[in-house]
Amino acid sequence: MAKEDIFYWQALNRALDAEMAGDDSVFILGEDVGLYGGSYRVTEGLYAKYGPLRVRDTPISETSFTGLGVGAAMTGMRPVVEIMTINFALLALDPLVNMAAKIPFMSGGQFPMPLVVRMPGGVAKQLGAQHSQRLEHTLMNVPGLRIAVPATPQDAYWQLRQAIASDDPIILIEHDLLYFSKGALDVEAVPLPMHRAAVCRAGRDVTLVSYSRNVELCLRAAQQLADERIEAEVIDLRSLSPIDWETCVTSVEKTHRLIVVEEDCRFAGAGAEVAATLSERCFFSLDAPAKRVAALDIPTPFNGSLESASIPTVKDVISAAQQLCSVADPGVKP
Amino acid sequence: MKQAVPMPALSDTMATGRLVRWLKQSGDPVKRGDVLAEVETDKAVLEVESFVDGFLAGPLAPIETDIPVRQTIGYLIDSAEEVVTPSVSEEETEPKTPPVEPAVERARPAKHPATPSTTAPRAATSPSSPSITPRTLTDTNRRPASPYARMLAADLGIDLADVVPGAGGTIHAAEVLATALQPRSPDLHFAPPYQIEPLSPMHRAVADSMTATRGTPTFRVTARIPLDAIQATSKETKTSLTLLLARACALTVKEFPRFNACHTPGGLAIRDRVDVGIAVDFEGGLLTPVLRDAANRPLEELAEDWRILRDKVRRRRVVPEDYQGATFYVSNLGTFSFVHSFEAIVPLGAAAILAIGADDGTATTFTMSCDHRVVFGADSARFLEALAGRLGNPGSWLG
Repeated sequence: MAKEDIFYWQALNRALDAEMAGDDSVFILGEDVGLYGGSYRVTEGLYAKYGPLRVRDTPISETSFTGLGVGAAMTGMRPVVEIMTINFALLALDPLVNMAAKIPFMSGGQFPMPLVVRMPGGVAKQLGAQHSQRLEHTLMNVPGLRIAVPATPQDAYWQLRQAIASDDPIILIEHDLLYFSKGALDVEAVPLPMHRAAVCRAGRDVTLVSYSRNVELCLRAAQQLADERIEAEVIDLRSLSPIDWETCVTSVEKTHRLIVVEEDCRFAGAGAEVAATLSERCFFSLDAPAKRVAALDIPTPFNGSLESASIPTVKDVISAAQQLCSVADPGVKP
Repeated sequence: MKQAVPMPALSDTMATGRLVRWLKQSGDPVKRGDVLAEVETDKAVLEVESFVDGFLAGPLAPIETDIPVRQTIGYLIDSAEEVVTPSVSEEETEPKTPPVEPAVERARPAKHPATPSTTAPRAATSPSSPSITPRTLTDTNRRPASPYARMLAADLGIDLADVVPGAGGTIHAAEVLATALQPRSPDLHFAPPYQIEPLSPMHRAVADSMTATRGTPTFRVTARIPLDAIQATSKETKTSLTLLLARACALTVKEFPRFNACHTPGGLAIRDRVDVGIAVDFEGGLLTPVLRDAANRPLEELAEDWRILRDKVRRRRVVPEDYQGATFYVSNLGTFSFVHSFEAIVPLGAAAILAIGADDGTATTFTMSCDHRVVFGADSARFLEALAGRLGNPGSWLG
């Protein structure tokens, strides 16, 4: 099959379909995944195709159905749990943190944990503070969990299939606003390793490290920066645990300047880890302190204007890059 | 109400200005438009005017210090009662004014001129002190430098003390590289004791712009041209000889437009107007006021321009529009009767500069320094031939 342009949700749907068709032990569970087809249409058509035993609707009971997923994984099944939004994952932290992440270690590897938990996260459009959270930092803090953050339909397809095939517990955080974004999908392309970061745009002046929806923001900023002769290199991390440091280090050693762009809160967020580790690893290559462009440390406001002011914009990324580059080279416009 | 008086920016490229003196003191009443202080930039002395009626209030920035543009140098207030800090002592001023950049610090005259301590060679310290005092590097080591800049400096064998910091007083890779590309500074360790006298801003500007021409591949062509005719004309018409020479050059440049071009990385910049820069020597410096459109405008108009420019130079009141952007240069040392010939340096932005010596009774020696990327030897010869023709026959082009 050749390349085609499809929605992000469709890419996830294709990945589920392909894995379910190929392996009877793969099954889906979660709220509204069955008859309704998933809040973002990701499980659309699968109920009809694979029946209620393999596409299981559950009551509103995140702790229970995530725990059920953990148990199923321990008995050799390959469950794909959908949590309606990352905000509800707070209720499922016990099975995720205490069970899924630790059982393979505590059992000395006797119980593998082929569990996949998918959840939308991020700031969408006016969903209020309780529904606009970025909790990747919470999950990143759990040793034993792997976290993938696909930014494109191609990655959504690859990484979901790789996650289902893997024997590790893996969380997929899908940004609410990405489900209806379009991109190319080539199902025959050779997939990158799931944790490998991708250089989306090459540049020589500053490295922009980002993930999920903000990669697009960085690419747009880089486009505009190029007009002022600031060539930004854009890196999509693709995975937040583990992080592919090699790709980042190589880039920073080339550009000598680093900006981490994320929608997570600045304080103790995902970007804090990236900035700290790269400052450590690239200390002698940095020509200026690493910068972070991140969301404000506040519960997301409901008001639309305030909401968009609380998260990074293309303009924010551009001005951070201008600042960083002008400090080191007064010849570049401030 | 208290309003800050900032260090004015004369041009986009001006980064610092040096306060020469305060004409008002803290507490003095001032009217809008009054001159508060004088600031020396790389080319001129600039007056800082009050923009409101009121009183000048401290802390006032110290004089003879380089201060970044837009930094507050004093305050204007509404009523005399609000003047609280008339003191202008350094201790009180310093906390208010942002820290002086290290580059500036270095440019200050040495605090203890009597002892050749900080910058003087260690070998030169008096024999009475057998323990050789190593050069104090504490301050320069504490100067902020990015890790990458430090690593580069170590790799390239560059002492951070020799690097002029960039924005914010921090040394970045760019500044280390710039230092590496510069000619080496002389090693004065075994030389006699010395003091560092900082360059005046204008001297620094000349040094920088001349250093910038290091990469220009230059050749020189010399010609002997009798100036009797043009000198006679100058006397008859009471027109400055320099002006007439500039006019003759402008007309010749117009005839050979390649001499009006300049080399850029992207190609030759072809200009559509001849602007002649004339080197003028005055007390303490060198400036090149520019006669705009010197080939096309009437001579009387140029003469008036020239008079105004010379006056501005003498009073040191030129602005960048007055002295920047010439397309061709003339330098005349003919007023020194024993200087028969000399060579000038082609400034950036021009293809050639014409150096004029003194008349030795039969003729005057003209030496053209040319950028070989723009013009060739024969071009220059033809140029001088045409110029000689013009100078020998002023009647044909003066009118």
